Amino acid sequence: MGIVDLTSMAEGQTTLRNEINERLSKLQNEISDYCFQCAKCTSGCEAHKLLELEPHKVVALLKRGLIDELVNSDVIWTCMSCFKCRERCPQKVAPVEILFALKNMAVASGKQIPGKYTAMLQSVLSIGLIQDVQIVSTRDNKTKKRDDFGLPGVSKPVDAAKFQTAITKLAVEKV
Amino acid sequence: MTKYALYPGCVMPTEQYAYEVSIREVLPLLNIDLVDVEGFSCCGEPMKSMNQLMALYLSARNLALAERQDLDLYVPCPMCHLSLSECQRVMKSNTEMRDRMNGMLASEDLQYNGSIDIVHTVDLLHDHIGIEKIKKRVKKPLAGLKVATHYGCHLIRPSEIGRPVDSENPQKMETILKVLGAESLDYPEKLDCCGAMLSANLPESALAKTGQKLQKVQEQGFDVFVDVCPWCHRMFDSKQVKAGETVAAKLEMPVVYLTQLLGLALGVKKEKLGLELNLSPVDKLKLGDK
Ligand code: SF4
Ligand code: SF4
Repeated sequence: MGIVDLTSMAEGQTTLRNEINERLSKLQNEISDYCFQCAKCTSGCEAHKLLELEPHKVVALLKRGLIDELVNSDVIWTCMSCFKCRERCPQKVAPVEILFALKNMAVASGKQIPGKYTAMLQSVLSIGLIQDVQIVSTRDNKTKKRDDFGLPGVSKPVDAAKFQTAITKLAVEKV
Repeated sequence: MTKYALYPGCVMPTEQYAYEVSIREVLPLLNIDLVDVEGFSCCGEPMKSMNQLMALYLSARNLALAERQDLDLYVPCPMCHLSLSECQRVMKSNTEMRDRMNGMLASEDLQYNGSIDIVHTVDLLHDHIGIEKIKKRVKKPLAGLKVATHYGCHLIRPSEIGRPVDSENPQKMETILKVLGAESLDYPEKLDCCGAMLSANLPESALAKTGQKLQKVQEQGFDVFVDVCPWCHRMFDSKQVKAGETVAAKLEMPVVYLTQLLGLALGVKKEKLGLELNLSPVDKLKLGDK
């Protein structure tokens, strides 16, 4: 099997979408109710200081069922997964997990895969790692390879085809 | 010797060689035997924004590979450590998901029963090897060195998953550095994020986060900035100049891995610790020259 064409990932993804939908409804119905909009999450949010992400508003919008609006907005991609909101929420709401579910939904609906995410996924599908071995530079501009340090070969999936089959299932088809 | 399977992840073995070199050099001196295992893949954490189920599966298969060797897992990258720990928790507490994951793992003749322990550099040194043992091995104390530590978000949060250090007041690195003779002081930005997770889609903003933190550290007069994460190190060390430009600051902050400093304190020659690969101005520390 070749590497999947990720641009057509939205096709045949109904099962995956249903699954994320289930996750989102659970977050909406069972968890967002606990949020009392204290905004403690936003006060410490790493992305708030720089990019105006407001995790407490994300929770509020989810509670009102505005899932499509959230899935379509760029702001969900500004979260840097620092987990401060999850750590500090007095109600154990974990906005960061809501954001993961929303981003998953955006990808599964073929809406947006920003930046280098596609390249990373392609790399995982083909060699098992997010990038292949790099040539690096020293402080005085000499180039060095992994072998130059006597390091052993990098651990990667042994049977690439089997590995790919399993991962591709998760990426594009129903499980 | 205590044996651990080494789980290298993606970033360390493909570009952050200084971390791997110093780990492989230093840990055996403290009676840790690292075993290389074939077949590992990405832990899945970087894929989490795209597909959480895939992230979980990737972690499960790596845990299964380690379990097949009957070895506990040493995971030097905090991102991998979180991903594997979270998966461990799911596999132990959610039977439905465990069966589903194991069903998929069967295609690679794998399964996971949840029997292994996962450690990171900081708890391996602090809790498993132990401070006393490290203390006895110190040959060249890092006298007077003023150190700022950076743990990395994924190592300290979320504590609900079970993290190796405290989420709001992590002190294990400080304790280690103290027995190495260094002076490790807290600073207001200590728990702030490096921004690395934004590199994939908002690289400028990622660099701004890095620059902002490092600028504060520099202003406070620290000699050196110490980290334990290949993602964070890539930001603070490898991309320091760019990070400085992003916040209009001239950054000249030496950044080293904890394992590199530890090696120097244990008397390892600097050539064996990958120090030539640190792109930040570590020369001004005059480490290992005495
Ligand atoms: S998610 Fe938690 S921290 Fe954020 S506003 Fe709601 S209750 Fe407060
Ligand atoms: S995990 Fe994301 S939303 Fe939560 S505090 Fe960090 S940057 Fe903000």
